[in-house]
Amino acid sequence: MVTAAEKVSGHKWGMAVDVDRCTGCQACVMACQAENNTTLSTEDVYRQKRTFAWIRIERYWYGEFPDVKARFIPIMCQHCENAPCEPVCPVFATYHNTEGMNVQIYNRCVGTRYCGNGCPYNVRFFNYWEPVWPKSLRNQLNPDVTVRSRGIMEKCSFCVQRIRRGVREAARDGRELQDGDIEPACVEACPTNALVFGDYNDADSRVSVMRNDDRKYTLLDKLNTFPNVVYLAQVDATEGATGGHE
Amino acid sequence: MLAIGGAGVTAILGFVMVFVITAWFGNPLPVFGFDQSPEQPIAFPHTVHAGGEPILDADGNPKLAADGTPLTGIGLDCTFCHRTVTSTNVAGIPPVETCVTCHRVIGSIQSEPLTILRTIGLGDNPGPIQWKRVHRLPDHVRFVHEPHIRFLTASENTDVIANRDESAILAGTNPDGSVMPAVTCSTCHGDIKTQTQVAQVEPLKMGQCVDCHRKNNAPTDCTTCHF
Repeated sequence: MVTAAEKVSGHKWGMAVDVDRCTGCQACVMACQAENNTTLSTEDVYRQKRTFAWIRIERYWYGEFPDVKARFIPIMCQHCENAPCEPVCPVFATYHNTEGMNVQIYNRCVGTRYCGNGCPYNVRFFNYWEPVWPKSLRNQLNPDVTVRSRGIMEKCSFCVQRIRRGVREAARDGRELQDGDIEPACVEACPTNALVFGDYNDADSRVSVMRNDDRKYTLLDKLNTFPNVVYLAQVDATEGATGGHE
Repeated sequence: MLAIGGAGVTAILGFVMVFVITAWFGNPLPVFGFDQSPEQPIAFPHTVHAGGEPILDADGNPKLAADGTPLTGIGLDCTFCHRTVTSTNVAGIPPVETCVTCHRVIGSIQSEPLTILRTIGLGDNPGPIQWKRVHRLPDHVRFVHEPHIRFLTASENTDVIANRDESAILAGTNPDGSVMPAVTCSTCHGDIKTQTQVAQVEPLKMGQCVDCHRKNNAPTDCTTCHF
C-alpha cells in the first residue's frame, strides 16, 4: 500500500559533478568514509581487490609526455532511474524510492551480490568479512548510520541520514527546505564545490540549473540507466569541452 | 542414505507445527527486552519522581514525612530529566548532576538517595551510573524521538494517539484538559509513572511502527528508519 504521503514526497534528489572543478584531492573519499562507517581499505583488503569506496576518484592521463594532463572524475552510485541493480534483487533490498534515490536496505539484504554484478559503474560493495576498526577508531563511528555486518551489500546512499535530518529539522523549525540545506558528506567536504547536491523538482536549485548546462553528460549513457548524478564536462582552453572520459 | 520412518516424519512435522503454532499464536517472544525488566544499579522509582500517588513502604503503608504528612509522588514531567527528547534522537539519561540538583537538599533530610549513591561508590568515586537499557531497538533501525514527540504533542493530533485504550490516555490529562507529555511517551513506553522498575510493555517491533505510520499518514518508505 502506498500512502498519500509517499506519493507526494515532493523531492527528487540528485547530484551534479563539475568535473572541471575537481582537483582529485580525495577529500570526498575521506569524508564519505568517516560519515558512512565504511570498512577500512587496508593493504590486506586491497590485495584481495575488495576495497571499499562509496565514492572514488578515477584518474585519467591525457596527452604525451611532457604535455600530459591528469584529469579526475569522482564516481559514486549514480542513483539510476532505470537501475540495473534493482530488478535482479530477489528480496527487494534495493529499490527506487519516491525521492528518486536508489536505496539499499541492509536488513533485507541476503547477500546474493546480483546487484553488484549488474551495476555497470562498480559502485556496490560487498562485505566479505565482519568489519573491524582499530580500537582508536571505534569511537569515531557515526551513530546515525548502521554498521553493516558480513554478507551485506552496500553503496552510496546520498547520505540519506543527512537528508532525513535536514527535512526533519526544517519541519521542526517550521520553515521551507532551502537549496543547500542538505549536503552529503562528500559535498560538504569538497573544497572546490565540484560536487553539488539538491532537489531536481526545485527548478531554481543549483542541480537543476547544472543539469540543463551545455556541458552536461551522464556516465555510460548508452546503457540508458538515466542516472540522477550528472557530470559537467571538463573545459580545456585549447580544446573546448572534452566530454569527460568518453 | 538416510532412512526416516513414519514416526520420524511425524516427529519432525510435529516439531515444525509446534514451532509455527507457538510463534504465530503465542505471546510475542521476549525480543529486545520485551516484557523484561532488568534490575537497575539504583532502584530508581519512577512512581516517586513521575507519579502523583501516595508513596507506600514495603508493608503497603503510606510513607510519612518528618512532620507526619503522607508523602506523595512529585509528578515531574518526563522532560525534566530526559531533556533531549524534544530536540534530538535520544531521550537521554540524565547525568548524576541532575539527580544531585534536588538530592543534595532532599537527601540531607531523608538521607535515602544520597545513601544509595554512596553505596554504589558514587560519593567517593564520581562517574556515570551504569543504567541497564530497557527499551532497545535493533542496530539497523534509526529511531528519532523528536518528530514523534512533535507529532504526538501537537494539539490537533491528540485524538489520533495510536491505539492506546482510553483510560491510559485520560490518566495523563492535565486539569485544564491538555495532554501531558507523559501520555505522549506512554504510546510506546507504557505508563512508566506507575512502574517501580521499568519494563518494556510494548513489543516495539516493525509491525507496530508501520501500523501507526500508516494510520497517521506518516512516511512508510524503508529509508524512513533503515539507513
